Amino acid sequence: MIEKTAELVPVLEARNISKTFKAATHEVRALDGVNLSVARGECLAIVGESGSGKTTLANMLLGIYPPTTGEMLLDGALLPARRNLPLRRAIQLVQQNPLSSLNPRRTIGASLRLALDVHDIGTRQERKTRIAALLDEVGLPTEFASRYPSALSGGQRQRVAIARALACEPEILVLDEPTSALDVLVQARVLRLLDELRHRKALTYVFITHDLAVVRNIADRVAVFERGIMVEMADTETIFTNPGNAYTRSLIGAIPIITDEEEALRKTVLENKSAH
Amino acid sequence: MSDPILSLRDLKLGFKTYEGLVEVLHGISLRIGRGEKVALVGESGSGKSVTARIILGLLQELKAARISGAIHFDGADLEKLSRRERQALRGTRMSMIFQDPTSSLNPVFPIHVQFHEVLRRMDRNLTQKQGMQRAISLLTDVSIPEPERVLQAYAFQLSGGMNQRVMIAMALANEPSLLIADEPGTALDVTVQAQTLHLMRDLVVRKGTSVLFISHNLGVVREFADRVYVIYKGRIVEHGPTDTLFSKPLHPYTKALMAAVPRITGGGIPDIAENSEAFLDPMIDHEVEVPA
Ligand SMILES: Nc1ncnc2c1ncn2[C@@H]1O[C@H](COP(=O)(O)OP(=O)(O)OP(=O)(O)O)[C@@H](O)[C@H]1O
Ligand SMILES: Nc1ncnc2c1ncn2[C@@H]1O[C@H](COP(=O)(O)OP(=O)(O)OP(=O)(O)O)[C@@H](O)[C@H]1O
Ligand SMILES: [Mg+2]
Ligand SMILES: [Mg+2]
Repeated sequence: MIEKTAELVPVLEARNISKTFKAATHEVRALDGVNLSVARGECLAIVGESGSGKTTLANMLLGIYPPTTGEMLLDGALLPARRNLPLRRAIQLVQQNPLSSLNPRRTIGASLRLALDVHDIGTRQERKTRIAALLDEVGLPTEFASRYPSALSGGQRQRVAIARALACEPEILVLDEPTSALDVLVQARVLRLLDELRHRKALTYVFITHDLAVVRNIADRVAVFERGIMVEMADTETIFTNPGNAYTRSLIGAIPIITDEEEALRKTVLENKSAH
Repeated sequence: MSDPILSLRDLKLGFKTYEGLVEVLHGISLRIGRGEKVALVGESGSGKSVTARIILGLLQELKAARISGAIHFDGADLEKLSRRERQALRGTRMSMIFQDPTSSLNPVFPIHVQFHEVLRRMDRNLTQKQGMQRAISLLTDVSIPEPERVLQAYAFQLSGGMNQRVMIAMALANEPSLLIADEPGTALDVTVQAQTLHLMRDLVVRKGTSVLFISHNLGVVREFADRVYVIYKGRIVEHGPTDTLFSKPLHPYTKALMAAVPRITGGGIPDIAENSEAFLDPMIDHEVEVPA
């Protein structure tokens, strides 16, 4: 597996990243010496303990704030603390809650146009065509451009959020719990769309979630975090059938499941404990 | 079932808008027995959270909301209570874990101030120091590693899952008779989630608390709930004991939901069957048959 990854071009790299938040009376070490490399076109899942620094990592990948120590590279070049527009354009975020991330007073078309305006993409006429193309890309009819978010279902809103992230043609999407607010039918639809877009547009995903069943079915590799430390990183199959770390095993053993086959898998993983 | 803690009969809700009345609930009936754990699952936007807010008496305070039907809590008709009496129920005999943890906490007060307010609803004479001690022990119960730090913090300084646990701890603090948990595990890792479910079960056993559990996570529902109601576009389309519902779902919508759950054994993201596609279109208002 290591050989396979080495052959692939790392599009995004984090080298020895740490982040400490300082408050009046104490410090919080949110991330501690994280090394991570994401290959072009892959879907890397980030899972782990709540409060282990996953969102902090996402914020730093997006350049919202810099790491306390360590460096990040995009396409082999060092990312500066202050990013220019093209660099910001390369990495886009899709958030958990589609309702609060879309402005309720703007039509869908206006929200998408704003993303194009910010990055100064195309002429006026071209932007119009581009909005229609973006909606089409996420499987929504052009008429939706004139609708307000309130007239869309949860899944449709999340598709608009994805279209907005795609507006400026990023290389990388950071997805922070993109489907946890959706029912499983809508979730399946959105996940299939994400999967298809990744292959069609050669996108790279950093997919943060607590839903391990989703991870199993969408990710190529999985990084497991506990208390600011990356405790394991392996291909998805290994994580789910033969995890090497005790914390990973406890996670797999605690996944709520609905079928007997899943129950059997959980049991095997927990029993392997003695073998390690 | 003898004397339920909560019963809703033919609950209807609409919102008055510029374009007229938008109907959201089309007559929901459900009952929760004492010490019973009941799940409400279904489509995003189908009316789960609004149902919860009506039970708490929160939507009644919204001018645009048009509500009808009967709601009985612990034998009392909720509509007959005054606003003050309803307020007195909230946070004491009824409490709720709200769906969006980070925006449901007050951004301008540190966590300990909000915690103290909750605890004082039950005990007017609680001192600052006693409140702190109680809060620390409640946060430890929900697996918060540094409760002192979390109590001093503001919501924005905490992770999504920490805020969710703070809210769970607050909702459990006064050991209510009815706990409404609206998507209580969305921001939690599976081991912490299991711990919070354990706490809720424990409360059910010790205090006879009843739980209304709203969730998209069918695995958790299967492990936690005694009975399940399935809601689709403001109507209950199916309900029954958890085992029966999972092994023999009757309604096409319930079947479609079950088929769409991704499995940890792999097999790819479920492909939505052609006949389930229709359930995804918000513009189609299905005539749903409710099995007897
Ligand atoms: N702005 C901030 N100020 C102070 N501390 C912070 C800030 N942001 C995050 N932290 C702390 O950093 C740690 C990691 O938080 P982060 O949000 O990255 O966790 P997470 O892995 O995303 O958790 P979850 O799964 O619950 O969303 C937590 O202890 C949190 O309290
Ligand atoms: N204050 C309001 N004014 C107008 N419409 C509202 C209001 N609150 C909720 N609604 C509408 O009522 C419907 C039901 O919303 P509700 O929040 O109960 O859905 P839900 O079942 O909890 O969905 P989810 O699973 O996404 O949380 C939605 O269509 C929503 O847009
Ligand atoms: Mg997070
Ligand atoms: Mg809801």
